[in-house]
Amino acid sequence: MNIIETKNLSKSYGDFTAVSGINLHIPKGKVYGFLGPNGAGKSTTMKMFLGLTKPTGGSFTINGKKYPENRMEILKEVGSFIESPAFYGNLSGEENLEIISKILGLSNSSVSEALEIVGLTPFKKRLAKKYSLGMKQRLGLASAFIGKPPILILDEPTNGLDPVGIHEIRSLIRSLPEKFHCTVFVSSHLLAEMELLADYIGILNRGHLLFEGTLNDLKHMALSKGYPTDHLEDTFLALIDGDNQKRGAE
Amino acid sequence: MKSIFLEWKKIRRTGFFPLFLGGGIVAGAVPIIHMAVRSKVYLIEQTPPIPFLFYENWQMMAMVNMLLVVTGSSLLYHLEYDHYAMEKWKSLPMRESSIFFGKVILTISMSTLPLGMEAGAIAFCSYHWFEVGSSLLKELWKSFAYAFLLMIPCILLSLLLSEACKNMWVSLGIGVICLFTATMLPTNNFLLSLFPFATNFQMAASMDRTKIIYYIYGSALESLILVLAEFLLIKVRRSFT
Repeated sequence: MNIIETKNLSKSYGDFTAVSGINLHIPKGKVYGFLGPNGAGKSTTMKMFLGLTKPTGGSFTINGKKYPENRMEILKEVGSFIESPAFYGNLSGEENLEIISKILGLSNSSVSEALEIVGLTPFKKRLAKKYSLGMKQRLGLASAFIGKPPILILDEPTNGLDPVGIHEIRSLIRSLPEKFHCTVFVSSHLLAEMELLADYIGILNRGHLLFEGTLNDLKHMALSKGYPTDHLEDTFLALIDGDNQKRGAE
Repeated sequence: MKSIFLEWKKIRRTGFFPLFLGGGIVAGAVPIIHMAVRSKVYLIEQTPPIPFLFYENWQMMAMVNMLLVVTGSSLLYHLEYDHYAMEKWKSLPMRESSIFFGKVILTISMSTLPLGMEAGAIAFCSYHWFEVGSSLLKELWKSFAYAFLLMIPCILLSLLLSEACKNMWVSLGIGVICLFTATMLPTNNFLLSLFPFATNFQMAASMDRTKIIYYIYGSALESLILVLAEFLLIKVRRSFT
């Protein structure tokens, strides 16, 4: 069963098409990796799911709820982290999460739980503006995980983290479907990371969905098209390059 | 109710409360210092205290009040834009307009602090330097309730400007320009004096009842228009993202 489905979802800004009629199928209880070079339209797609950007065409449903009719109901079920951590610099990490928990109507224990999950408990009283980049990133993730929503939308969640942090967050994301029965829709341009993280992947280039399926499906597809399959990176680059040539650009 | 609580929580360590407290002290000090320095000159005239004190001091006090509103509004939205907090808020199940209205209620409530302190200062001056009649408290209450009502459009417009401008200095600059423009508008022209930053200079103490009612209706209409402008702003901004 697909928890998120899009039908010809598009977004244009004047003459520029950021997302062009994509049909995504994100299965429930899995980690879905959204891959693509910078500017491919990953963040725009995620923003549309959260109602931060208005689609110019097509439609989507999240957990059976249609946008825009059920925007509030959708947002109640989605935890998100988009582009960069968002917080109040004058408040501590704990106070930031308290605000979100109040909005979501959660218990006080949800704050300490979220802080524990991302490893920020020892720093919960420190002002968020004084956090390091990695800590800010963790705070952003905590604000997505708080209340254990059934769907998580994470845009480049490991940006700015050191290798240890990347490993921790990756393990955490990997464990979420099993631990909390949630679905994770995560974007990245780091292929190695996706290889370790995702059950399913979708590859986006210049707003077009080039591939959707498991890593094995990708290998089969690459073989059939004569693309290299030894490393995901080679397959990905060949796929993107092929698409760029098809669309008449380098 | 929830959004007001959240707004109150968000202003911790920002200096928002001390700003209004300090502003109230400054504005309250205006009539006291004025009377302390020039009481001999003023007391020659046998005028009732409230109209006299308002006439001599209200321009300066209203100016301080509006500067507090402009600065406070810019500060409130700076919190939202500084570390992209607004972006997070928009992805939570809460109406975008509730941020604005939470801030409106917070600023309106906070504005009662300087107004209260100013009322205290006027009362002190009246008791200390004038012969006070039995109607003093009633007149004082009427004058400050009127000042409070006329302040609401200014609060709404300042917050709307701050919401529209992501850079705090831009909204602060526009607010200050609006404020100084208001000082140049003739107060005897009804339509011009309805400019949200200019209405605050009107004084109930020296005005007839009909005019007072006109200004209250005018302010209510302005407030309604500004509330509609907030919904329009949200709609327009969303269609451009």
